[in-house]
Amino acid sequence: MALREIISSGNELAAHAAVDSGCKFFGGYPITPSSEIMHELSDLLPSIGGTCIQMEDEIAGVACAIGASMSGVRAMTATSGPGISLKAENLGLAQMAEVPLVVVNVMRGGPSTGLPTRVSQGDVAQAKNPSHGDYKSITLCAGNLAECYTETVRAFNLADRFMQPVFVLLDETLGHMHGKAMIPSEEVVKAGIKSRKEFTGDPAEYKPYGVAQDEPAVLNPMFKGYRYHFTGLHHNATGFPTEEIETCRKLIERLFNKVEAHQEEIDSYEEYMLDDAELLIVAYGSVSLAAKEAIRHLRAAGIKAGLFRPITLWPSPAKRIKHWTDKIEKVLCVELNIGQYRDEIQRASGRLDIDGLFKVNGRALSPYEIVEKVKGM
Amino acid sequence: MARTLMRFTGVGGQGVLLAGEIFAEAKIKAGGYGLKTATYTSQVRGGPTVVDITLDDEEIFYPYANDGEIDFMLSVAQVSFDLFKNGVSQGGTIVVEPNLVKPTEEDRKKWNIIEIPIITIAKEEVGNVITQSVVALAIANTIMHAIDNDTLKEVMLSKVPEKVHALNLKAFDLGEKYAKEAISK
Repeated sequence: MALREIISSGNELAAHAAVDSGCKFFGGYPITPSSEIMHELSDLLPSIGGTCIQMEDEIAGVACAIGASMSGVRAMTATSGPGISLKAENLGLAQMAEVPLVVVNVMRGGPSTGLPTRVSQGDVAQAKNPSHGDYKSITLCAGNLAECYTETVRAFNLADRFMQPVFVLLDETLGHMHGKAMIPSEEVVKAGIKSRKEFTGDPAEYKPYGVAQDEPAVLNPMFKGYRYHFTGLHHNATGFPTEEIETCRKLIERLFNKVEAHQEEIDSYEEYMLDDAELLIVAYGSVSLAAKEAIRHLRAAGIKAGLFRPITLWPSPAKRIKHWTDKIEKVLCVELNIGQYRDEIQRASGRLDIDGLFKVNGRALSPYEIVEKVKGM
Repeated sequence: MARTLMRFTGVGGQGVLLAGEIFAEAKIKAGGYGLKTATYTSQVRGGPTVVDITLDDEEIFYPYANDGEIDFMLSVAQVSFDLFKNGVSQGGTIVVEPNLVKPTEEDRKKWNIIEIPIITIAKEEVGNVITQSVVALAIANTIMHAIDNDTLKEVMLSKVPEKVHALNLKAFDLGEKYAKEAISK
């Protein structure tokens, strides 16, 4: 596949990915370190007949994006951790009503307003369950500049495929770093767009939520003659509220199952220098850049280290994690939080002896800190 | 070429970010890899700001400059100079604006400190203080020989509005002139 060279920042690349993916609506409220996404889209979207709107707050930002998506267009919002906290209730609504949406979170130090301009990976656990109730999150995590583009593209296709919000996690480092990215051409991205399913039969027979137990709802764009009800309450095949026992059970099980039964469509990870590795480093996001550089230093010193980098964080590539943790004894999880993903590595591996290197002061982890930690293992 | 690490420091609002972007882009245009990262505080103005520039012929993963490995630093604020000077390798070069940064005798023993009144040049000789980042860019490249001057100028011009091209070229030439004078001292 022919790639094109773009010199840009992670945030700007995410914005361009949205436009190339056919996104026509952005609703949001600017927040550091994600603001450049909205800034860029406020320029790009109107020029192609789209809409970029700055709402009165984070809650309204996600609410109008959900509304736009219900009308059939691809929609996006972008924010940072504090914004996700505010958007949580509406994100739950989109999960329950099965409205596709791309939500970019450029992570900064938390909790609360935390460290606005500093890097963090503190929202990884939040992305798994941002709102109350049972559902299965899809969360993608870019690990370099090019992936700020390609993972945003993938998020739009996954959102339409599974009819739910899809998170793209960036972090302050990736969002703001400026350099070269080799990304697919606009034509390739456009040719790869897989739009959501639409029901074309008799409107009288339309049952948007009356689908197989491993499939998402089929929601036609509103105002086109296909009538259905839209609610955050438990609902039946036509979307009307119900408390009927079996219907309620089947609805929530389906929200889980539609993702779980098709995990192979969602899984994504990178394996770097793992073939002969005697020490396994697990890292994601911008931390994986430091990890790769650390592995170069470690190998030069005769230590055979390799990297497993989950790109889809939720659902986690648990089988592949177990494959490597069964094979390699020494495992180190490196994160800019206190082990939010190490918990998942422990779960997937069935091992409680996964070592950790964690940093939560808003500063990046350097390759040398990783080298030093590994040498002491 | 081996990896070149440069650090530009100032306080928020001085516009030190642009020079880093120009360096990274010029290196990529010349066929290599360049990365710029900026670290700043949540204060809108007045907080210490640092821009790290990494240039290499090989792919760069980690985008920040590792402390102790920086070849060149330029500083236009005392608070930033004090905070970030220790990232510079022993014997490395630090260019300071002498009206705003006062290095100690110990600093002068540890590093090759060059004093150039960057802001005064921009304000009084070029005629617009905003051009200080272009003056700084020219100074850094004259000392480091990181990028071919024509490529650097071309990228710099692509980043500023056309009506101020002449002004910025003047800033670039003055930066180069002052840097050459400072080196030959």
